[in-house]
Amino acid sequence: MASSSAQTAKKDDKAASEKQPEQATQQKTTAALEEDDEFEDFPVDDWTVEETEAASGGAGGETTTHLWEESWDDDDTSDDFSTQLKEELKKVEASKRR
Amino acid sequence: MDTIFREFGEAFSQQNGYQLSQTLTPQLPKDMLRVIWRSANHHDVKSVLRRGIQSSSSSLMNRLSREEVDGWVEVYYTYWKACEHLLAMEEGSSNSSWTKVYEAWKEMLNALHRGYTNYGFEAWTIPCIYVGAKNLRIFAIRADQQRNSSSAQENSGMSFQDDFDPESGKNQQLEDCARQLNRMFQLCLSDRAPLEESRKWGIYYVVNLLFKTYFKLNSASLSKNMLKSLTAGRGDMPGLSAFPKSQQVTFKYYEGVLHFLEENYVESEKHLTIAWNLCHKNAMRNKELILTYLIPCHLLTTHTLPTQQLLEPHPRLQKLFLPLCRSIKKGELHAFDIALQEAEDEFVKRRIYLTLERGRDIALRNLLRKVFLAGGFEPPKEDGAKPLRRTRIPVDEFVAAISLGSQQMLDPDEVECLLANMIYKNLMKGYIARERGIVVLSKSGAFPGTGV
Repeated sequence: MASSSAQTAKKDDKAASEKQPEQATQQKTTAALEEDDEFEDFPVDDWTVEETEAASGGAGGETTTHLWEESWDDDDTSDDFSTQLKEELKKVEASKRR
Repeated sequence: MDTIFREFGEAFSQQNGYQLSQTLTPQLPKDMLRVIWRSANHHDVKSVLRRGIQSSSSSLMNRLSREEVDGWVEVYYTYWKACEHLLAMEEGSSNSSWTKVYEAWKEMLNALHRGYTNYGFEAWTIPCIYVGAKNLRIFAIRADQQRNSSSAQENSGMSFQDDFDPESGKNQQLEDCARQLNRMFQLCLSDRAPLEESRKWGIYYVVNLLFKTYFKLNSASLSKNMLKSLTAGRGDMPGLSAFPKSQQVTFKYYEGVLHFLEENYVESEKHLTIAWNLCHKNAMRNKELILTYLIPCHLLTTHTLPTQQLLEPHPRLQKLFLPLCRSIKKGELHAFDIALQEAEDEFVKRRIYLTLERGRDIALRNLLRKVFLAGGFEPPKEDGAKPLRRTRIPVDEFVAAISLGSQQMLDPDEVECLLANMIYKNLMKGYIARERGIVVLSKSGAFPGTGV
Protein backbone atom coordinates (compact mmCIF):
# COMPACT_ATOMS: atom_id res chain seq x y z
CA MET A 1 0.00 0.00 0.00
CA ALA A 2 2.79 2.31 0.94
CA SER A 3 4.52 1.70 -2.37
CA SER A 4 1.37 2.35 -4.35
CA SER A 5 0.90 5.65 -2.58
CA ALA A 6 4.47 6.54 -3.37
CA GLN A 7 3.79 5.88 -7.00
CA THR A 8 0.72 8.07 -7.08
CA ALA A 9 2.73 10.70 -5.27
CA LYS A 10 5.25 10.65 -8.10
CA LYS A 11 2.55 10.89 -10.68
CA ASP A 12 1.07 13.76 -8.73
CA ASP A 13 4.39 15.45 -8.81
CA LYS A 14 4.43 15.42 -12.59
CA ALA A 15 0.89 16.62 -12.86
CA ALA A 16 1.59 19.35 -10.35
CA SER A 17 4.62 20.64 -12.19
CA GLU A 18 2.58 20.87 -15.34
CA LYS A 19 0.13 23.04 -13.49
CA GLN A 20 2.89 25.34 -12.38
CA PRO A 21 2.55 28.31 -14.73
CA GLU A 22 -1.15 28.45 -14.11
CA GLN A 23 -0.67 28.54 -10.39
CA ALA A 24 1.96 31.20 -10.65
CA THR A 25 -0.37 33.64 -12.34
CA GLN A 26 -3.04 32.85 -9.86
CA GLN A 27 -0.67 33.48 -6.96
CA LYS A 28 0.13 36.86 -8.35
CA THR A 29 -3.48 37.91 -8.36
CA THR A 30 -4.09 36.71 -4.85
CA ALA A 31 -0.92 38.41 -3.67
CA ALA A 32 -2.11 41.63 -5.19
CA LEU A 33 -5.45 41.25 -3.52
CA GLU A 34 -4.24 40.52 -0.05
CA GLU A 35 -1.07 41.31 1.73
CA ASP A 36 -1.08 39.01 4.69
CA ASP A 37 0.85 36.17 6.19
CA GLU A 38 -0.92 33.33 4.49
CA PHE A 39 1.18 30.29 3.80
CA GLU A 40 1.72 30.07 0.06
CA ASP A 41 0.92 27.11 -2.13
CA PHE A 42 4.06 25.29 -3.08
CA PRO A 43 4.63 25.15 -6.84
CA VAL A 44 5.11 21.40 -6.60
CA ASP A 45 3.26 18.87 -4.56
CA ASP A 46 6.13 16.82 -3.24
CA TRP A 47 9.92 16.84 -3.27
CA THR A 48 12.86 14.68 -2.36
CA VAL A 49 14.69 14.71 0.94
CA GLU A 50 17.64 16.34 -0.85
CA GLU A 51 15.50 19.33 -1.67
CA THR A 52 14.40 19.97 1.88
CA GLU A 53 15.74 22.76 4.01
CA ALA A 54 17.25 20.29 6.47
CA ALA A 55 19.37 18.67 3.75
CA SER A 56 20.39 21.92 2.08
CA GLY A 57 21.80 23.14 5.40
CA GLY A 58 24.87 21.01 4.72
CA ALA A 59 25.91 18.15 6.96
CA GLY A 60 22.36 16.94 7.40
CA GLY A 61 20.90 15.78 10.67
CA GLU A 62 22.45 18.19 13.14
CA THR A 63 21.87 21.16 10.89
CA THR A 64 19.81 23.24 13.25
CA THR A 65 22.71 23.69 15.67
CA HIS A 66 24.54 26.35 13.72
CA LEU A 67 21.34 28.24 13.04
CA TRP A 68 20.81 29.22 16.66
CA GLU A 69 23.23 30.78 19.06
CA GLU A 70 23.25 31.62 22.73
CA SER A 71 21.60 34.87 23.62
CA TRP A 72 24.57 36.33 25.49
CA ASP A 73 27.85 37.49 24.17
CA ASP A 74 31.02 36.88 26.15
CA ASP A 75 33.58 37.66 23.47
CA ASP A 76 32.49 41.16 22.91
CA THR A 77 33.45 42.90 26.15
CA SER A 78 35.15 45.82 24.49
CA ASP A 79 32.05 47.41 22.94
CA ASP A 80 30.88 50.82 24.04
CA PHE A 81 28.17 49.61 26.28
CA SER A 82 30.39 47.21 28.20
CA THR A 83 33.06 49.84 28.72
CA GLN A 84 30.46 52.27 29.92
CA LEU A 85 29.08 49.68 32.26
CA LYS A 86 32.49 48.95 33.74
CA GLU A 87 33.12 52.63 34.38
CA GLU A 88 29.73 52.98 35.97
CA LEU A 89 30.43 50.04 38.25
CA LYS A 90 33.79 51.51 39.23
CA LYS A 91 32.03 54.72 40.21
CA VAL A 92 29.64 52.79 42.41
CA GLU A 93 32.52 51.04 44.08
CA ALA A 94 34.40 54.28 44.61
CA SER A 95 31.43 55.91 46.26
CA LYS A 96 31.15 52.89 48.57
CA ARG A 97 34.75 53.27 49.73
CA ARG A 98 34.38 56.90 50.60
CA MET B 1 -16.22 19.89 -24.46
CA ASP B 2 -14.71 17.08 -26.51
CA THR B 3 -11.33 17.77 -24.95
CA ILE B 4 -12.92 17.36 -21.55
CA PHE B 5 -14.44 14.02 -22.51
CA ARG B 6 -11.17 12.81 -23.99
CA GLU B 7 -9.23 13.71 -20.86
CA PHE B 8 -11.98 12.28 -18.71
CA GLY B 9 -11.61 8.95 -20.48
CA GLU B 10 -7.84 9.04 -20.24
CA ALA B 11 -7.86 9.93 -16.57
CA PHE B 12 -10.25 7.09 -15.85
CA SER B 13 -8.24 4.56 -17.76
CA GLN B 14 -5.15 5.48 -15.75
CA GLN B 15 -7.02 6.28 -12.55
CA ASN B 16 -5.15 9.56 -12.49
CA GLY B 17 -6.99 11.86 -10.10
CA TYR B 18 -4.92 14.92 -10.89
CA GLN B 19 -5.53 14.63 -14.60
CA LEU B 20 -9.23 14.23 -13.93
CA SER B 21 -9.26 17.27 -11.65
CA GLN B 22 -7.79 19.33 -14.48
CA THR B 23 -10.97 18.84 -16.48
CA LEU B 24 -12.76 20.77 -13.74
CA THR B 25 -10.45 23.74 -13.50
CA PRO B 26 -12.06 27.18 -13.65
CA GLN B 27 -8.77 28.82 -14.53
CA LEU B 28 -9.21 28.90 -18.26
CA PRO B 29 -8.66 31.59 -20.85
CA LYS B 30 -11.76 33.43 -21.96
CA ASP B 31 -11.85 31.62 -25.32
CA MET B 32 -11.85 28.23 -23.67
CA LEU B 33 -14.66 29.22 -21.33
CA ARG B 34 -16.63 30.42 -24.31
CA VAL B 35 -16.02 27.20 -26.23
CA ILE B 36 -17.24 25.11 -23.31
CA TRP B 37 -20.25 27.33 -22.75
CA ARG B 38 -21.24 27.36 -26.43
CA SER B 39 -20.86 23.62 -26.90
CA ALA B 40 -24.26 23.00 -25.40
CA ASN B 41 -27.44 24.78 -24.45
CA HIS B 42 -29.77 24.52 -21.50
CA HIS B 43 -32.08 22.07 -23.25
CA ASP B 44 -29.61 19.51 -24.39
CA VAL B 45 -26.64 19.96 -22.09
CA LYS B 46 -27.37 16.96 -19.88
CA SER B 47 -27.81 14.58 -22.78
CA VAL B 48 -24.66 15.94 -24.44
CA LEU B 49 -22.78 15.31 -21.23
CA ARG B 50 -24.24 11.86 -20.77
CA ARG B 51 -23.33 10.80 -24.29
CA GLY B 52 -19.84 12.22 -23.93
CA ILE B 53 -19.15 10.54 -20.62
CA GLN B 54 -20.58 7.22 -21.70
CA SER B 55 -18.63 7.07 -24.92
CA SER B 56 -15.35 8.21 -23.37
CA SER B 57 -15.64 5.57 -20.67
CA SER B 58 -16.97 2.80 -22.91
CA SER B 59 -13.52 1.39 -23.60
CA LEU B 60 -12.64 1.13 -19.93
CA MET B 61 -11.81 -2.20 -18.33
CA ASN B 62 -14.18 -1.64 -15.46
CA ARG B 63 -16.93 0.49 -16.91
CA LEU B 64 -18.58 3.19 -14.95
CA SER B 65 -21.72 2.14 -13.16
CA ARG B 66 -25.00 3.83 -14.03
CA GLU B 67 -24.92 5.77 -10.77
CA GLU B 68 -21.39 6.98 -11.41
CA VAL B 69 -22.36 8.25 -14.83
CA ASP B 70 -25.34 10.05 -13.29
CA GLY B 71 -23.05 11.59 -10.70
CA TRP B 72 -20.49 12.82 -13.20
CA VAL B 73 -23.19 14.23 -15.49
CA GLU B 74 -24.34 16.32 -12.51
CA VAL B 75 -20.79 17.44 -11.79
CA TYR B 76 -20.08 18.55 -15.36
CA TYR B 77 -23.52 20.11 -15.69
CA THR B 78 -22.83 22.35 -12.67
CA TYR B 79 -19.31 22.99 -13.98
CA TRP B 80 -20.77 24.07 -17.31
CA LYS B 81 -23.10 26.48 -15.52
CA ALA B 82 -20.25 27.89 -13.46
CA CYS B 83 -18.37 28.51 -16.70
CA GLU B 84 -21.24 30.70 -17.84
CA HIS B 85 -20.84 32.96 -14.81
CA LEU B 86 -17.08 32.97 -15.13
CA LEU B 87 -17.36 33.97 -18.76
CA ALA B 88 -19.79 36.75 -17.87
CA MET B 89 -17.30 37.95 -15.29
CA GLU B 90 -14.45 37.86 -17.81
CA GLU B 91 -16.50 39.75 -20.35
CA GLY B 92 -17.47 42.34 -17.79
CA SER B 93 -21.16 41.77 -18.30
CA SER B 94 -23.30 44.03 -16.13
CA ASN B 95 -25.20 41.12 -14.69
CA SER B 96 -22.09 39.35 -13.44
CA SER B 97 -20.52 39.21 -10.01
CA TRP B 98 -18.09 37.07 -8.07
CA THR B 99 -20.92 36.21 -5.72
CA LYS B 100 -22.73 34.55 -8.63
CA VAL B 101 -19.58 32.72 -9.62
CA TYR B 102 -19.20 31.63 -6.02
CA GLU B 103 -22.75 30.30 -5.82
CA ALA B 104 -22.42 28.44 -9.12
CA TRP B 105 -19.12 26.94 -8.07
CA LYS B 106 -20.61 25.87 -4.76
CA GLU B 107 -23.19 23.89 -6.73
CA MET B 108 -20.35 22.13 -8.51
CA LEU B 109 -18.70 21.24 -5.21
CA ASN B 110 -22.03 19.99 -3.88
CA ALA B 111 -22.46 17.80 -6.94
CA LEU B 112 -19.04 16.32 -6.23
CA HIS B 113 -20.00 15.76 -2.61
CA ARG B 114 -23.13 13.91 -3.70
CA GLY B 115 -20.98 11.92 -6.08
CA TYR B 116 -19.09 10.45 -3.14
CA THR B 117 -22.06 9.98 -0.85
CA ASN B 118 -24.72 8.79 -3.35
CA TYR B 119 -23.11 7.81 -6.62
CA GLY B 120 -20.12 5.76 -5.55
CA PHE B 121 -17.27 7.95 -6.79
CA GLU B 122 -13.95 6.26 -6.14
CA ALA B 123 -11.32 7.68 -3.79
CA TRP B 124 -8.67 8.20 -6.48
CA THR B 125 -10.82 10.98 -7.93
CA ILE B 126 -10.36 13.05 -4.74
CA PRO B 127 -8.14 15.70 -6.43
CA CYS B 128 -11.41 16.94 -7.96
CA ILE B 129 -12.36 17.99 -4.45
CA TYR B 130 -9.01 19.83 -4.23
CA VAL B 131 -9.72 21.85 -7.36
CA GLY B 132 -13.27 22.49 -6.24
CA ALA B 133 -12.44 23.49 -2.68
CA LYS B 134 -9.39 25.56 -3.51
CA ASN B 135 -11.21 27.65 -6.07
CA LEU B 136 -14.31 28.01 -3.93
CA ARG B 137 -12.15 29.78 -1.41
CA ILE B 138 -10.64 32.04 -4.06
CA PHE B 139 -14.10 32.98 -5.35
CA ALA B 140 -15.37 33.57 -1.80
CA ILE B 141 -12.56 36.02 -1.10
CA ARG B 142 -13.17 37.83 -4.38
CA ALA B 143 -16.92 37.97 -3.76
CA ASP B 144 -16.40 39.49 -0.33
CA GLN B 145 -13.95 42.03 -1.69
CA GLN B 146 -16.21 42.99 -4.54
CA ARG B 147 -19.20 43.42 -2.27
CA ASN B 148 -17.25 45.36 0.33
CA SER B 149 -15.70 47.73 -2.15
CA SER B 150 -19.01 48.43 -3.87
CA SER B 151 -20.86 48.91 -0.61
CA ALA B 152 -18.08 51.18 0.58
CA GLN B 153 -18.66 53.33 -2.50
CA GLU B 154 -22.38 53.45 -1.94
CA ASN B 155 -22.00 54.29 1.70
CA SER B 156 -19.15 56.73 1.36
CA GLY B 157 -19.94 59.68 3.54
CA MET B 158 -22.46 57.67 5.45
CA SER B 159 -20.16 55.43 7.38
CA PHE B 160 -17.02 56.44 9.22
CA GLN B 161 -15.76 52.96 9.81
CA ASP B 162 -12.53 52.11 8.17
CA ASP B 163 -11.85 48.91 6.28
CA PHE B 164 -10.25 47.10 9.18
CA ASP B 165 -13.27 47.27 11.39
CA PRO B 166 -14.78 43.87 11.87
CA GLU B 167 -18.15 44.61 10.33
CA SER B 168 -20.70 41.91 10.42
CA GLY B 169 -21.19 40.28 7.05
CA LYS B 170 -17.88 41.51 5.74
CA ASN B 171 -16.71 37.95 5.29
CA GLN B 172 -20.10 36.53 4.48
CA GLN B 173 -18.97 34.40 1.54
CA LEU B 174 -15.80 33.23 3.18
CA GLU B 175 -17.74 32.13 6.24
CA ASP B 176 -20.06 30.17 4.03
CA CYS B 177 -17.04 28.76 2.25
CA ALA B 178 -15.64 27.59 5.59
CA ARG B 179 -18.85 25.63 6.17
CA GLN B 180 -18.60 24.03 2.72
CA LEU B 181 -14.96 23.12 3.28
CA ASN B 182 -15.89 21.64 6.62
CA ARG B 183 -18.38 19.37 4.84
CA MET B 184 -15.56 18.19 2.59
CA PHE B 185 -13.44 17.60 5.69
CA GLN B 186 -16.17 15.41 7.17
CA LEU B 187 -16.54 13.66 3.82
CA CYS B 188 -12.90 12.62 3.91
CA LEU B 189 -12.75 11.92 7.62
CA SER B 190 -15.83 9.73 7.78
CA ASP B 191 -14.81 7.35 5.01
CA ARG B 192 -14.72 3.83 6.37
CA ALA B 193 -13.31 2.17 3.27
CA PRO B 194 -9.98 0.35 3.54
CA LEU B 195 -7.05 2.76 3.54
CA GLU B 196 -5.78 2.10 0.03
CA GLU B 197 -9.08 3.24 -1.42
CA SER B 198 -10.01 5.74 1.27
CA ARG B 199 -10.88 9.39 0.92
CA LYS B 200 -8.76 9.91 4.03
CA TRP B 201 -5.88 10.54 1.65
CA GLY B 202 -7.59 13.81 0.83
CA ILE B 203 -7.85 15.01 4.36
CA TYR B 204 -4.73 17.10 4.82
CA TYR B 205 -5.31 19.07 1.65
CA VAL B 206 -8.76 20.05 2.91
CA VAL B 207 -7.50 20.65 6.45
CA ASN B 208 -4.85 23.04 5.17
CA LEU B 209 -7.44 24.97 3.16
CA LEU B 210 -9.58 25.19 6.28
CA PHE B 211 -6.62 26.45 8.31
CA LYS B 212 -6.04 29.23 5.79
CA THR B 213 -9.72 30.10 5.80
CA TYR B 214 -10.13 30.10 9.57
CA PHE B 215 -7.01 32.21 9.99
CA LYS B 216 -8.34 34.72 7.51
CA LEU B 217 -11.57 34.79 9.49
CA ASN B 218 -9.54 35.24 12.65
CA SER B 219 -11.04 32.18 14.18
CA ALA B 220 -8.32 30.12 15.76
CA SER B 221 -10.88 28.33 17.93
CA LEU B 222 -12.51 26.75 14.89
CA SER B 223 -9.09 25.52 13.79
CA LYS B 224 -8.72 24.01 17.21
CA ASN B 225 -12.00 22.12 16.92
CA MET B 226 -11.01 20.78 13.54
CA LEU B 227 -7.66 19.67 14.93
CA LYS B 228 -9.47 17.85 17.71
CA SER B 229 -11.69 15.83 15.39
CA LEU B 230 -8.63 15.13 13.26
CA THR B 231 -6.73 13.82 16.28
CA ALA B 232 -9.72 11.73 17.29
CA GLY B 233 -9.81 10.10 13.85
CA ARG B 234 -6.07 9.74 13.55
CA GLY B 235 -5.96 6.14 14.78
CA ASP B 236 -7.17 4.65 11.52
CA MET B 237 -5.56 7.22 9.26
CA PRO B 238 -2.32 7.13 7.29
CA GLY B 239 0.53 8.87 9.14
CA LEU B 240 1.22 12.45 8.14
CA SER B 241 4.60 11.44 6.74
CA ALA B 242 2.84 9.38 4.05
CA PHE B 243 1.39 12.55 2.53
CA PRO B 244 3.13 14.86 0.03
CA LYS B 245 5.60 17.21 1.70
CA SER B 246 3.73 20.31 0.57
CA GLN B 247 0.80 19.14 2.69
CA GLN B 248 3.00 18.11 5.61
CA VAL B 249 4.81 21.44 5.79
CA THR B 250 1.65 23.52 5.51
CA PHE B 251 -0.07 21.45 8.17
CA LYS B 252 2.87 21.63 10.56
CA TYR B 253 3.14 25.38 10.05
CA TYR B 254 -0.46 26.02 11.00
CA GLU B 255 -0.35 23.54 13.86
CA GLY B 256 2.73 25.33 15.17
CA VAL B 257 1.20 28.78 14.85
CA LEU B 258 -1.93 27.60 16.67
CA HIS B 259 0.13 26.44 19.63
CA PHE B 260 2.05 29.68 19.41
CA LEU B 261 -1.14 31.72 19.74
CA GLU B 262 -2.01 29.69 22.81
CA GLU B 263 1.42 30.53 24.23
CA ASN B 264 2.36 26.89 24.19
CA TYR B 265 5.84 27.62 22.89
CA VAL B 266 7.49 24.28 23.53
CA GLU B 267 4.86 22.48 21.48
CA SER B 268 4.87 25.20 18.86
CA GLU B 269 8.62 24.98 18.43
CA LYS B 270 8.36 21.26 17.83
CA HIS B 271 5.87 21.61 14.97
CA LEU B 272 7.55 24.62 13.41
CA THR B 273 10.92 22.88 13.46
CA ILE B 274 9.46 19.95 11.55
CA ALA B 275 7.91 22.37 9.06
CA TRP B 276 11.25 24.14 8.68
CA ASN B 277 13.23 20.96 8.12
CA LEU B 278 10.83 19.57 5.53
CA CYS B 279 10.21 22.84 3.72
CA HIS B 280 11.40 23.11 0.14
CA LYS B 281 14.71 24.96 0.25
CA ASN B 282 13.64 27.44 -2.42
CA ALA B 283 10.31 28.39 -0.88
CA MET B 284 11.66 31.64 0.52
CA ARG B 285 8.39 33.24 1.54
CA ASN B 286 7.17 30.18 3.38
CA LYS B 287 10.52 29.76 5.07
CA GLU B 288 10.25 33.36 6.21
CA LEU B 289 6.80 32.73 7.64
CA ILE B 290 7.99 29.69 9.56
CA LEU B 291 10.90 31.63 11.01
CA THR B 292 8.68 34.55 11.98
CA TYR B 293 7.20 32.30 14.65
CA LEU B 294 10.13 29.98 15.21
CA ILE B 295 12.45 32.82 16.25
CA PRO B 296 10.23 34.08 19.12
CA CYS B 297 9.75 30.44 20.18
CA HIS B 298 13.46 29.85 20.44
CA LEU B 299 13.89 33.06 22.39
CA LEU B 300 11.48 31.91 25.06
CA THR B 301 12.07 28.17 25.19
CA THR B 302 15.83 27.87 24.91
CA HIS B 303 16.84 31.54 25.14
CA THR B 304 18.61 31.27 21.82
CA LEU B 305 18.81 33.74 18.97
CA PRO B 306 19.04 33.21 15.21
CA THR B 307 22.57 33.26 13.82
CA GLN B 308 23.73 35.59 11.11
CA GLN B 309 23.77 32.60 8.79
CA LEU B 310 20.11 31.87 9.39
CA LEU B 311 18.92 35.41 8.77
CA GLU B 312 21.25 36.23 5.92
CA PRO B 313 19.01 35.11 3.03
CA HIS B 314 16.01 36.96 4.46
CA PRO B 315 16.32 40.76 4.42
CA ARG B 316 12.80 41.19 5.75
CA LEU B 317 13.51 39.07 8.77
CA GLN B 318 16.77 40.90 9.35
CA LYS B 319 14.94 44.17 9.43
CA LEU B 320 12.35 42.71 11.75
CA PHE B 321 14.55 40.88 14.24
CA LEU B 322 18.15 42.09 14.09
CA PRO B 323 17.83 45.22 16.27
CA LEU B 324 15.97 43.24 18.88
CA CYS B 325 18.46 40.38 18.84
CA ARG B 326 21.44 42.71 19.13
CA SER B 327 20.02 44.50 22.14
CA ILE B 328 19.19 41.22 23.86
CA LYS B 329 22.67 39.93 23.27
CA LYS B 330 24.26 43.01 24.72
CA GLY B 331 21.79 43.41 27.52
CA GLU B 332 20.85 46.91 26.45
CA LEU B 333 17.37 47.39 27.82
CA HIS B 334 16.91 50.81 26.31
CA ALA B 335 17.85 49.61 22.84
CA PHE B 336 15.50 46.67 23.34
CA ASP B 337 12.57 48.93 24.17
CA ILE B 338 13.26 51.12 21.16
CA ALA B 339 13.55 48.13 18.83
CA LEU B 340 10.28 46.74 20.12
CA GLN B 341 8.56 50.07 19.77
CA GLU B 342 9.82 50.79 16.30
CA ALA B 343 8.56 47.57 14.83
CA GLU B 344 5.47 47.44 17.01
CA ASP B 345 2.94 47.58 14.17
CA GLU B 346 4.67 44.85 12.28
CA PHE B 347 5.00 42.67 15.39
CA VAL B 348 1.36 43.16 16.35
CA LYS B 349 0.23 42.34 12.83
CA ARG B 350 2.18 39.11 12.96
CA ARG B 351 0.86 38.38 16.45
CA ILE B 352 4.34 38.10 17.93
CA TYR B 353 4.52 41.36 19.89
CA LEU B 354 3.53 39.96 23.28
CA THR B 355 5.88 37.04 22.88
CA LEU B 356 8.82 39.20 21.93
CA GLU B 357 8.06 41.55 24.80
CA ARG B 358 8.87 38.68 27.11
CA GLY B 359 12.35 38.66 25.61
CA ARG B 360 13.08 41.70 27.78
CA ASP B 361 13.73 39.26 30.62
CA ILE B 362 16.52 37.72 28.59
CA ALA B 363 18.00 41.11 27.85
CA LEU B 364 17.87 41.92 31.56
CA ARG B 365 19.37 38.56 32.46
CA ASN B 366 22.27 39.24 30.13
CA LEU B 367 22.80 42.66 31.65
CA LEU B 368 22.84 41.31 35.21
CA ARG B 369 25.17 38.58 34.06
CA LYS B 370 27.54 41.21 32.75
CA VAL B 371 27.58 42.88 36.16
CA PHE B 372 28.37 39.53 37.72
CA LEU B 373 31.23 38.91 35.28
CA ALA B 374 32.57 42.42 35.75
CA GLY B 375 32.77 41.70 39.49
CA GLY B 376 35.69 39.41 38.79
CA PHE B 377 37.03 36.91 41.30
CA GLU B 378 37.43 36.74 45.08
CA PRO B 379 41.06 36.71 46.26
CA PRO B 380 41.85 33.04 46.81
CA LYS B 381 41.63 31.98 50.44
CA GLU B 382 44.39 29.47 50.15
CA ASP B 383 47.05 28.88 47.57
CA GLY B 384 46.13 26.72 44.63
CA ALA B 385 42.41 26.86 45.34
CA LYS B 386 40.13 27.31 42.38
CA PRO B 387 39.33 31.01 42.07
CA LEU B 388 35.75 31.82 42.94
CA ARG B 389 33.70 34.57 41.37
CA ARG B 390 32.55 37.33 43.59
CA THR B 391 29.03 36.27 44.51
CA ARG B 392 28.09 39.11 46.87
CA ILE B 393 27.12 42.04 44.74
CA PRO B 394 25.82 45.35 46.07
CA VAL B 395 22.33 46.16 44.84
CA ASP B 396 23.72 49.57 43.91
CA GLU B 397 25.79 47.99 41.16
CA PHE B 398 22.69 46.49 39.64
CA VAL B 399 20.90 49.82 40.02
CA ALA B 400 23.70 51.52 38.11
CA ALA B 401 23.72 48.88 35.39
CA ILE B 402 19.98 48.84 34.86
CA SER B 403 19.77 52.61 34.92
CA LEU B 404 22.53 52.74 32.34
CA GLY B 405 20.77 50.12 30.26
CA SER B 406 17.37 51.74 30.41
CA GLN B 407 18.71 55.32 30.22
CA GLN B 408 16.75 56.46 33.22
CA MET B 409 17.62 56.55 36.90
CA LEU B 410 15.73 53.76 38.61
CA ASP B 411 14.75 53.53 42.25
CA PRO B 412 16.65 50.81 44.19
CA ASP B 413 13.30 49.34 45.25
CA GLU B 414 12.26 48.98 41.64
CA VAL B 415 15.52 47.28 40.84
CA GLU B 416 15.09 44.90 43.75
CA CYS B 417 11.71 44.07 42.36
CA LEU B 418 13.24 43.28 38.95
CA LEU B 419 15.90 41.15 40.62
CA ALA B 420 13.29 39.27 42.65
CA ASN B 421 11.44 38.56 39.45
CA MET B 422 14.57 37.23 37.81
CA ILE B 423 15.11 34.92 40.76
CA TYR B 424 11.49 33.82 40.67
CA LYS B 425 11.75 33.00 36.97
CA ASN B 426 14.88 31.01 37.65
CA LEU B 427 16.90 33.19 35.32
CA MET B 428 19.16 34.07 38.23
CA LYS B 429 19.94 32.07 41.37
CA GLY B 430 20.46 33.68 44.72
CA TYR B 431 18.74 35.91 47.25
CA ILE B 432 18.57 39.55 48.19
CA ALA B 433 19.91 40.46 51.61
CA ARG B 434 17.92 43.63 52.00
CA GLU B 435 19.29 44.91 55.32
CA ARG B 436 22.84 44.73 53.94
CA GLY B 437 21.89 45.97 50.50
CA ILE B 438 23.57 43.12 48.65
CA VAL B 439 22.58 40.29 46.40
CA VAL B 440 24.06 36.93 47.26
CA LEU B 441 24.32 34.83 44.16
CA SER B 442 24.68 31.08 43.94
CA LYS B 443 28.26 29.88 43.81
CA SER B 444 27.31 27.13 41.42
CA GLY B 445 25.51 28.55 38.44
CA ALA B 446 24.29 32.02 39.32
CA PHE B 447 22.77 32.32 35.86
CA PRO B 448 21.46 28.86 34.99
CA GLY B 449 22.33 27.56 31.58
CA THR B 450 24.77 30.32 30.71
CA GLY B 451 27.99 28.73 31.86
CA VAL B 452 28.48 30.88 35.00
